[in-house]
Amino acid sequence: MTTVTATGLVKRFHRGAETVTALDGVDLEVHAGELVALVGPSGSGKSTLLAVLCGWETPDAGTLRIGSGGAPRGLGWGELALVPQALGLVPDLSLADNVLLPTRLAAPDASVRAGELLAAVGIAHLADRYPHQASLGEQQRAAVARALVLGPTLVLADEPTAHQDRGHADDLLDALADTARGGSAVLLATHDEVAWSRADRVLSMRDGRLHPGAPA
Amino acid sequence: MRPLPPWTRAPLLGLRQPAAVLAVLVTTAILACAVASAPLFLSSARSAALQEQLGPQCAEAARPAVTAGIPAPVGDRAAALAAAPAQAWTTLGRASRTVLVVDGALGGGGNRQFGVPVAGADGFDLSQPARLLWKPGMVDHLDVRAQVPGAGVWLPASYAQAAGVTAGGTIAVRGVPVQVSGVYTDLFDTDPGAFWCDQEDLFTNAASTNTPPPALLLATDESTLVGLAERAQGSLRATAAVPVDGSRLTASRAAELADLTQRALADVAATDLLPPDGQLYADQRLSDATARAQVLADGLRGPVVPVAAAGGLLALVLVAAAGSFWADRRAAEVRLLAARGVGPVPLAGKAALELGLPALAGAALGWAASRGLTGVLGPAPEVDPSATSAALVAGVGAFIVGLGAAAVVAGLRARGTAERPLGTGPRWPARVPWEVAVLLAAGLCWVLLRGRDAVVSDGGVAQVSGLLVALPLLAVAGAAVLVARVLTAGLPRLRGWAAGRPVPVFLAVNRWAAARGATAVLLVAVALPVAVLGCTATLTASSRATLEAKVGVQLGAGAVAATSTRIDPAAVTGPDGTTVVRFGQATAQPADGGPRTGVQVLAVDPTTFAGTAFWVDSFAAEPLPDLLRALTEDSTAVPVVAAGLSTGPHQLRLGTQEVDVEVVATADVLPGRRADAPVLLVDRSLLPEVPRTAGSDQSVERWTDGDVAVAAQELRDAGAVRVLDTVPADVQRAANLLGITWTFGYLSALAVFAGVIGAAGLLLHLEARSRTRVSGYVMARRLGLRRSAHLRSLLVELGAAAVVGVVVGGALAACAVATVYRRLDVDLVRPPTPLLDVPWPAVAGTVAAALLVAAGAALYAQRAADRADPSSVLRE
Repeated sequence: MTTVTATGLVKRFHRGAETVTALDGVDLEVHAGELVALVGPSGSGKSTLLAVLCGWETPDAGTLRIGSGGAPRGLGWGELALVPQALGLVPDLSLADNVLLPTRLAAPDASVRAGELLAAVGIAHLADRYPHQASLGEQQRAAVARALVLGPTLVLADEPTAHQDRGHADDLLDALADTARGGSAVLLATHDEVAWSRADRVLSMRDGRLHPGAPA
Repeated sequence: MRPLPPWTRAPLLGLRQPAAVLAVLVTTAILACAVASAPLFLSSARSAALQEQLGPQCAEAARPAVTAGIPAPVGDRAAALAAAPAQAWTTLGRASRTVLVVDGALGGGGNRQFGVPVAGADGFDLSQPARLLWKPGMVDHLDVRAQVPGAGVWLPASYAQAAGVTAGGTIAVRGVPVQVSGVYTDLFDTDPGAFWCDQEDLFTNAASTNTPPPALLLATDESTLVGLAERAQGSLRATAAVPVDGSRLTASRAAELADLTQRALADVAATDLLPPDGQLYADQRLSDATARAQVLADGLRGPVVPVAAAGGLLALVLVAAAGSFWADRRAAEVRLLAARGVGPVPLAGKAALELGLPALAGAALGWAASRGLTGVLGPAPEVDPSATSAALVAGVGAFIVGLGAAAVVAGLRARGTAERPLGTGPRWPARVPWEVAVLLAAGLCWVLLRGRDAVVSDGGVAQVSGLLVALPLLAVAGAAVLVARVLTAGLPRLRGWAAGRPVPVFLAVNRWAAARGATAVLLVAVALPVAVLGCTATLTASSRATLEAKVGVQLGAGAVAATSTRIDPAAVTGPDGTTVVRFGQATAQPADGGPRTGVQVLAVDPTTFAGTAFWVDSFAAEPLPDLLRALTEDSTAVPVVAAGLSTGPHQLRLGTQEVDVEVVATADVLPGRRADAPVLLVDRSLLPEVPRTAGSDQSVERWTDGDVAVAAQELRDAGAVRVLDTVPADVQRAANLLGITWTFGYLSALAVFAGVIGAAGLLLHLEARSRTRVSGYVMARRLGLRRSAHLRSLLVELGAAAVVGVVVGGALAACAVATVYRRLDVDLVRPPTPLLDVPWPAVAGTVAAALLVAAGAALYAQRAADRADPSSVLRE
């Protein structure tokens, strides 16, 4: 089943007189149960593509369909979850409360799974710490756990292993792979070559265009 | 391109963070305003005290004046004398106006009479002598009956009639013939107006002496008067005054004028014109008023300086917070610098260079604001130039200290943020309860106050002790911080409770718990202004109510008209008011023996007394109508209600008349108390007739809450000849309580100021945390948080903090007021003791303002979150 269908996505940004084309006719399909790695150099348009896919940016051209619905803006966390580059943890909540926040807002009975996820990503012992009391890597693991807590249909993760050592990066990739095996579609924007090897499919971006396969 | 030097580059770099620049500018302005306001306020109060003393007096009281006089006969020195004072002022470069008076003395010993003899048309001296006066422009201020051209004198109509002359006729002043150039209505028969105010003693018989003052003859011109003085062998008095507007006078200007007056006096003395028995003096009214104004300002300095210092310290904390805000805003750069080994001192220097210009602009703004606010809200808009200079120095000090504090805090915070390991708790200074030291200082004030008067009178000017002001301020400040510390210590436990609550409550409680320090500051920022405002407003209202009560007790009612003419009190009637007969020379002695004491006896009409008499429920255990009912009870003796005597039978003596009375009820205070002796109320109809021969002074008084003129007329209608009326202002003026009113007014201004600081701090707090708030909000929205739920969480967070702050502040204010209000006795001599009057509208306004600020801040935070672009926020 196709979870993401994007055709001819174009996104341009204006910086003064200059126009930057971040997405230049991107066609993309991501299927349920698939872990897709999106690779490319910095500034190639990976994060912009994720922002368009999650509905924070509106494409200038092209069509986008998530699941059986249409635009991503109205989708709940159970349908579309993400791990942004800046993580977006709520600073006034402990790491555990951050992970549990989607369940509080949407599905109060998912707390057991939250506990499992905290343990899976190795931060169960930091549950009561605030984000600013944890390292960036620990915060990132909490952000991934939060993304997975409701078992979403689609997971978008922007550099989810950027602040991790190898061992914790592997833990995160395991968790994401498990999620994909559970039927979710997972799209990672990453520079981590190990992640490429764990992905079912690799797509590379260059100058706003999407190409199949890893870069040479 | 050559790089700019740091002192040029830094201010430009600072401008890249407009929020931090604005924060430093505003907070430095608040600091400068706080410290600069003290000298300006003191000067404004001194000006107002001076102006308020001069206001009720004649306009001439404010004018520096020199008077020179030569006793009769002045002879050929008259012209030189008349010109001498004005000449002295001219030498000093001042224009002046001269008033000349020719007087004389008739008879001798006990039959001495002032004035010069005047012969009428029949050539015989009139029984009433005359004074001659010349004052420029006087004809314009007369009610002219008749006039003819030519030099001469104007006569009052009654005097012209007695002399049998009309305008154009001739009289003789000590044998010197002079034309009657005009006839005017006697000044005491008209409203003479402000022009004649300073000469009122020349035409009114204010003391009601048997011999009226000499008739006032007005010379048409100066040379006529000087000529008459020479030829009529009178004395001559010349007064030259420099026109000055007393309603805009400052103390320093008054001092300059006093100095000039001394020089003018010296100039006149140097003329050798005056004989040994001549007169040379300056008008003392201005210097007296200036000295009294200085006493009042000196009394204010004690409370005002600590209050300004407290406001300055509060504002300094805000400036330091702005420095911390700068460090947050420049976090990326300062962390990088700190990581490269740049220490806190260079970082503080960098902050100082970046923030110098906004701090300077803020200090200038604050100084200007303090000047403007003093002009608009201060006791008087006029301040001394020296006060403006002192305020400028204070503003410069605020700039230096404020910038230093902001820079130091910025440097420490920048360095500390980079160096602190993750998960560490607060540093030890944050754990020490410094506020206990403030509470101990409050305790010290209390101990010191126990041994001295909290309100002292210096030359009749009531002054509040600085300790009485410092005590509640220190107590509420220390207690507010301590309570906030205790309350926020329980917040982690509150998180557990909030876990099962709706999302807005859950988020709000977690925000409090996550930033306990900020929550504590927020609580203090609300509680402190509320407490100070509640305390000062209540103390001000209480002192005012107490004063009004004291005046009410003294007068007995809103106003009183009284006569010593022996009239029938029952004949005094009117729709409003009550009639009271006051007996002097009265004493009372318990029937079982004991000392005889002087008493004040008021024979009243029980049916109308309660409706008019001033009464406060705390005066007695029973309401006044119940006490009055006791006056009509059956009793073997005449029943009386007493304040200052115990119940039981007494023998009352009114002059020589003895009356057996029984004290059937008592009160702590009874209205109409004019002296420090017990007061007795008795039903007038039950009191036996006290004959004139008994020797008891009696006066009949008409008490009213309405127009005293009506009451006076009611007495006259009943046959009274001479009636004196008294209104509260007559009593209050003597008490001179301006110092107290202004002290608490300044304190109230501080409280409002503290509220402004609190609101500014709240905005700074929200702005400092806006980035993390916004990123959290954007993400939480994606997680499923509704906008309305987020807004509700902000309202709960800030609104509940405001409510708790208001409750804490209100409780602290109540405790502070309860501690000190009894000490705030503005007049120890007169009852009652201090009353408590809570100004509920002001309290309600404060609560409403606190809640409105909280709601406004919540909307502001929500708006900032709504404007955020999720894509850019979550990419940083």
